[in-house]
Amino acid sequence: MLPTYQPDKLNLVNRLAYVGGERPMRNDVVAIQMAGPHVLYVKRVIGLPNERVSVVDGVVNINGAPLNEPYVKYRRPWTVDEVTLGPTEYFVIGDNRGMAAGDHDFGRAELKRILGKVVF
Amino acid sequence: MLRRVLLPSAAVVLLVAGVWYFSQANDETADIRRRLQALCDDVNSSTTDGRGPEARAAQLGMFFTDDVDVDLGGGATPIKGRATIVAMAARLQPRTAAFKLQFEDVAVAMDPGGNSASVHLTAEFIRRNLLTGEQSLDAREFTLGMRRVAADWEIQRVTAVDTLK
Repeated sequence: MLPTYQPDKLNLVNRLAYVGGERPMRNDVVAIQMAGPHVLYVKRVIGLPNERVSVVDGVVNINGAPLNEPYVKYRRPWTVDEVTLGPTEYFVIGDNRGMAAGDHDFGRAELKRILGKVVF
Repeated sequence: MLRRVLLPSAAVVLLVAGVWYFSQANDETADIRRRLQALCDDVNSSTTDGRGPEARAAQLGMFFTDDVDVDLGGGATPIKGRATIVAMAARLQPRTAAFKLQFEDVAVAMDPGGNSASVHLTAEFIRRNLLTGEQSLDAREFTLGMRRVAADWEIQRVTAVDTLK
């Protein structure tokens, strides 16, 4: 998540951010759980349910339109084929895109895996 | 009169049976957790216990069934059989000095009959650069199929789970 978040630092996650009908919004930085809450990904939400998402030469497209991402400082020309998100899916990527796409974990996350919103 | 005695007695018997059933199930899940922790301990200690690489690899092989099937996903060729795992472990041993394995968020679900179980966990691989001392952490989510073989639990199936699809 460089440069927004540094590695090996503590982050605070608001686990109540998405209860009571609230849902992640685009640009939210969220914590995504693996098998449970002790190991988490920290990623940014760029695609919302039912949207079409692709990456062309490093530029994210949502429903065919390029997404302005001022938080991305390191960018390589990734290409990701278009996917259509399901009704409970969010597309998440880290801010640090300075490595090969194959070395970066990103993709569709189910809402039930999103543990909360990263506060800092 | 008979009904007043029988109904409470039946309730007590059911309650005792229920408590016994759940305590047995808890014992089994605890055994499986201990077994998985023993696997981690063996992986993490295997370069410092003075045994040869083949003996250490054979020890690791005891955690898996003969017909174990490992699917790491991502297009990787599945690994089949304990013998393959033992051979791979023997080759990897010299490099594991800077490597630590630990399991987090281990959830065990016993199958009906109590002789097999499904496990869902996150495996953390902590690597330390021998030159700089710098540590890096990789994590991967897995489901395991485990089977009771004699008194021990062995891993029969390992499947990587894509957290992000």
